[in-house]
Amino acid sequence: MSAVITLAEVGVTYGRGAAALAALQDVSLAIQPGEMTLLLGPSGSGKTSLLQVMGCLLRPSRGRVQLFGETLAPDLGVEAMAALRLAHIGFVFQHYNLFPTLKAWENVAIALDLKALPRAEQRGQSLRLLERLGLADRAEHYPAELSGGQKQRVAIARALAGGPRILLADEPTAALDGKTGQGVAATLHELAHGAGVAVVVVSHDPRVEPFGDRVLHLEDGRLVDDRRPARSSA
Amino acid sequence: MSRLDADMSGTSLLAWRNLSHDRARFVVTLVGVLFAVLLMGVELGLLLGFARTTSGLVDHTDADLWITPAGTTNVDIAGRLDERRRFEALAVPGVAQVDQLMMQFAFWRKPDGGTESVSIVGFNLATGQGRPWNLVQGAIEDLQQDDAVIVDRLYAAKLGVTALGQTVEINNRRARVVGFTAGIRTFTQSPYVFTTHRNAQRFTFFRPDQTTYLLVRLRPNSDAAAVRDALQARLGRVDVRFAADFARAAQRYWLITTGAGSALLLAALLGLVVGIVIVGQTLYATTVDRLPEYATLRAMGAPNRYLYRVILKQAAISAVFGFAGGMLLVGLVVLASTGSTVAVAMPPGLIAVLALLTLCMCALGALVSIRRVTRIDPTSVFQ
Repeated sequence: MSAVITLAEVGVTYGRGAAALAALQDVSLAIQPGEMTLLLGPSGSGKTSLLQVMGCLLRPSRGRVQLFGETLAPDLGVEAMAALRLAHIGFVFQHYNLFPTLKAWENVAIALDLKALPRAEQRGQSLRLLERLGLADRAEHYPAELSGGQKQRVAIARALAGGPRILLADEPTAALDGKTGQGVAATLHELAHGAGVAVVVVSHDPRVEPFGDRVLHLEDGRLVDDRRPARSSA
Repeated sequence: MSRLDADMSGTSLLAWRNLSHDRARFVVTLVGVLFAVLLMGVELGLLLGFARTTSGLVDHTDADLWITPAGTTNVDIAGRLDERRRFEALAVPGVAQVDQLMMQFAFWRKPDGGTESVSIVGFNLATGQGRPWNLVQGAIEDLQQDDAVIVDRLYAAKLGVTALGQTVEINNRRARVVGFTAGIRTFTQSPYVFTTHRNAQRFTFFRPDQTTYLLVRLRPNSDAAAVRDALQARLGRVDVRFAADFARAAQRYWLITTGAGSALLLAALLGLVVGIVIVGQTLYATTVDRLPEYATLRAMGAPNRYLYRVILKQAAISAVFGFAGGMLLVGLVVLASTGSTVAVAMPPGLIAVLALLTLCMCALGALVSIRRVTRIDPTSVFQ
């Protein structure tokens, strides 16, 4: 299977001169579809920067990024990067980042609206996604009326709206209790295996580790370990 | 789910919810827009009302051309013309009819004492050129009597008259009120007193062969510009103008030359600026509160124009509701002005202009917010 994201000797440096800080150094890797990749490492190791580079949110200072085999131009504009994100990538955030004034289904529908899905189809598709994530009965609720786990599942439904082939999650279980966190991790794992989505999860959470098909370990901006656990939880 | 929500696009839904979920701020925005619309509406309505008042006398004759003493800037203040000019004008090809119209300030002594300045308007009773319009009491034919005059109800109290038949003095000559009009205002605040040309000459000590204006009707199918030029050449030291040109000249004189219009425009501009500032401030505060949401949209891949649409729709919603409320108040002011000597005009064209100004005001108010979201860093969602 061909990689959906390929990074070759990617480096990210923040600031200049004496204040320059290398967040990523010579990172090379390929993300495969249909598997859940975990990005682990201590704080400040460059996990989020790596996620941002993979998510077309951050242009690397050095190296090459390929998306579905196409090399991204180093001077790609912010609007072009946004268009790539919209077309191919779904995001799940630590604090859910739901729109508080919109109901659960409307939060999902916004992603479909961005992708210019006809308005008449937005509600139906949103409800189907929520149902798939076990939230059919919460569709008309506002985020404030949902539990943490429910919010994160709405966020996953939103990330999946429009069928992205890549799903990037930043600490998706950090704000959840043990059982709920495991449930969210299991959902992400199922998405990778069931829908063939390339799922990349940044996490500190040991509860997530058993769900990873592949574990990447970063330290001081360098990829120091890339292993496939002998047995995943799936 | 309401039908309204289901029919809304994502940007409309976000815009509406952003506003409606912070009702206190939304109310502040609406009040700001409402008062801006009220201020702009009343000032521009006054401006238009004054403009119509300054040229009312010209607009309500059906003369094609006005012959005025040279250098005349407005219909209320003018010198004198000799009657022979009328015969010279009648001799010009294309001229069908020439009527005299007098306009002269005079002193009106009220029945119970006290004096007011008035503008005597003397017209040709036979042709009716320059006659009062909106006569609501009495008859034009009653002006055939030597001392008969017609005044407007708006100024009845000021002139000290309450009923037909009352006698007053104009420049120490006896005059009798034989009719009332409704809504004929004067910009100079010296009320128009309509009478026959002959009576006007008597009231104002004009010689029988003197008048103020000559009103020209052209023969059908004549070349108006050519006749005007011919009249100008034939009569020499007078001004010959189309009625519309003279009306605009009068408006320009009173509203621009005297600065009265500038003051009204300035007040309207102030309303616009106040509206922009209020809308700008409240929209910006809403935008800043929701920056994480805009950053999330950006991270999801929303183009900048999607974010702009949300903000502009918030501005448009504020404009629509604020305009509706503001126009309701403007309507009340217009209604109240019908019985006063100061008219606030509000024709459909001005309503359209106000709607456009309100939209522009709110869009300008949204610019600061748009600038702010343009600078959003989508990676901030990871912090």
